[in-house]
Amino acid sequence: MSNKAARNLFILGSLFFFAIFLGLTYDTMGKLDKRAPEITEQVNAGKMVWHKYDCIGCHTILGNGSYFAPDLTKATERKPKGYLKRFLMDPKSANPNASMPKLGIRDEEADDLIAFLDWNSKVDTNGWPPKPILAAAGGVAGKELTEGQKLYQSLGCAACHLIDGIGGTTGPELTTVGARRDRAWLIGHFKNPEEYVKNSAMPKVEAPEADIEKLADYMITLK
Amino acid sequence: MSIKYQSQKIAEYFYTFAVVLFLVQVVVGIIAALQFIWPSFFILNFNTIRTLHINALVVWLLTGLMGATYYVVPEESETELWSLPLAKLQFWATVVAITAVVLGYIWMGLNPQANSPIMGITPLNEGREYIEAPRWADVLIVISVLLFLFINFMTMLKTKKWTGIQGTLIGGLTVLALMYLPGMFYTKSMVKDQFWWWWVVHLWVEGAWEVIAGALLAFMLMKVVGARREVVEKWMYIEVGFVMFTGILGTGHHYYWIGTPGYWLWVGGIFSSLEPLPLLFMVWDAFRTTREARNVENRAGLYYTVAHAIFNFVGAGLWGVIHTLPQINKWTHGTQITTAHGHLAFYGAYVLLVLAMIYITLPAIRGVKAFNASRAFQSFWWMTISMVFIVLTITGAGMVQVYMERLMGLDYVAVKANYNMWFWILRAIFGVGFLIGVGIFVIDFFRLGKEPAPAVTAAPERL
Ligand code: HEM
Ligand code: HEM
Ligand SMILES: [Fe+2]
Repeated sequence: MSNKAARNLFILGSLFFFAIFLGLTYDTMGKLDKRAPEITEQVNAGKMVWHKYDCIGCHTILGNGSYFAPDLTKATERKPKGYLKRFLMDPKSANPNASMPKLGIRDEEADDLIAFLDWNSKVDTNGWPPKPILAAAGGVAGKELTEGQKLYQSLGCAACHLIDGIGGTTGPELTTVGARRDRAWLIGHFKNPEEYVKNSAMPKVEAPEADIEKLADYMITLK
Repeated sequence: MSIKYQSQKIAEYFYTFAVVLFLVQVVVGIIAALQFIWPSFFILNFNTIRTLHINALVVWLLTGLMGATYYVVPEESETELWSLPLAKLQFWATVVAITAVVLGYIWMGLNPQANSPIMGITPLNEGREYIEAPRWADVLIVISVLLFLFINFMTMLKTKKWTGIQGTLIGGLTVLALMYLPGMFYTKSMVKDQFWWWWVVHLWVEGAWEVIAGALLAFMLMKVVGARREVVEKWMYIEVGFVMFTGILGTGHHYYWIGTPGYWLWVGGIFSSLEPLPLLFMVWDAFRTTREARNVENRAGLYYTVAHAIFNFVGAGLWGVIHTLPQINKWTHGTQITTAHGHLAFYGAYVLLVLAMIYITLPAIRGVKAFNASRAFQSFWWMTISMVFIVLTITGAGMVQVYMERLMGLDYVAVKANYNMWFWILRAIFGVGFLIGVGIFVIDFFRLGKEPAPAVTAAPERL
């Protein structure tokens, strides 16, 4: 091949592939809005707040950004909104172990941010982030789960609490909670956390009385 | 070694600024690494530190490449630069603009409210990774780059030599400038925001910049071993051609999970898996060309050139391809695996490229016949070994993270603060090793040719 032919191959080939890329981009642009909820004024305001505080300098969203702090794509699915709002405005008041700094996010800015995060959580991401396969397998080592254990999973308690090293670190660890609390305390606390723990960041457990009791029964076995 | 055209000296201005920013980048990188261990270690939060780290990186690489271009174009065109005063103006304007941007980042870091939007635009920090520079700075950067391209283009017009190397170099730089534009408008949708953001980031490092690297590799092979132009230019076209054929549609590997249609899994998976090929061609090209080389005067230059080709392939090619298939990327997307790849790729492809260009052109600019290359080798090994270990450490952290967080469902913070702590500590230690290497390099940069003539490496060597 002569140098001239090689050069022409480079230039024309590049243009060819760029043309295909432009075509795909055009097609994609037409499809994006259908794959995500409508963008309200508040969602857009939240996006501006996101940029203003440079949240992406620590977090990823849709998996892109910095890897210093958790991905926020599904933040509003994983954490109750009341908790999130308190956390955004003053992280340590919601979770004493938080290492996120208090940035000065104001009340309405926090609401806007949550609307923005909620929008992101509803984008059709081709199934990302994937469900953890090992945890989803459940009933570790073939052991059947008790009713209380199943409720603990389905109500999403593990998003914030840790049992035997598995779960979130937002709330207190529950590995030995049965040694600290009795059944009545646990039931009362589920129904109205703030009555039992001052300024508690935990949301009320929204479940029928019978389920709340089963959950408490499970808790007292943790010793 | 000496220069043929006085205006080539302008390259040293750019190199000096680049070298200083390199030092800043790495010092700031160590602060970032320590914040993984103690999150509130420094007066500035991690996000500001990281912004400084990656912006310093991109800017010093770009200024380094600008310097290299101002050296290459007069040489290839066989004439003085079209306007040296204008080139100097472009240099100082760039320095002033960059300094202003950095001060803005620090101010915003100390007082986030200072970044409150004015007419819908955040004035100090755009809050978008790599392109944090605010809109006013974007405009200044574009003006500076256009001026830079204009000066070089006018220089080429003076003699109309149109060599393949300078044509490809300027072509790559033009695409680089154009690909900055998709990052300069606001979109309400976070999905579209990221879609266009990847045009900048991906089409830079896996498109335009690799083309520039291909052109400079050809130039360096001619310089250090006297390779024949026809041969290196032909291989250059093939290399950069395949970079574009695979890299453009390879952008799809960033469009798997951000809200884009499913066909990108196919497009991105297939084309990005082929991206290591042209990088392998470059390694082969470097070996084939240098193998028969006999009288190599500039051993440091040769060393860095070949190392650049190898680590470009390892960092970008291998560490890129391991997580580029959608089936794997689904689990590793946005984890420490990405950081490991980012470090080795930037180091191999572009840090070593700019350092190689410096070692090849600086002796000529300073008019030294031969120089003692021992510091160049020392800094190379300090930096390279440390970087390899940083990358292995962070790859380990990434594997633990993928297993525990993504597969088992443990909380992100629990994995980071408990299971990965040793990896963070090791990274910080190897980071200091890297800093030592950079320190040796910086000393060498400022002393090269300014010391009494060396006794060793002066004589031509048999390889
Ligand atoms: C010199 C060339 C390259 C450089 C400098 C580079 C650098 C980077 C950086 C810095 C990121 C992270 C971006 C972020 O902060 O979100 C990244 C992501 C990525 N790169 Fe590269 N890269 C290069 C080449 C390649 C190649 C050749 C491949 C594939 C064969 C590749 C595959 C990937 C993939 C799959 C990701 C996304 C990771 C994720 O999903 O989190 N890269 N690259
Ligand atoms: C002393 C050496 C260095 C240390 C300790 C260091 C540390 C760090 C840390 C802690 C981060 C943040 C990662 C995260 O968000 O989780 C980072 C990001 C980054 N660093 Fe470095 N760094 C060093 C040198 C370098 C060098 C030499 C380069 C270029 C070759 C580089 C390129 C980058 C890039 C591109 C990113 C952002 C993308 C990513 O995280 O993948 N760093 N670095
Ligand atoms: Fe990419």
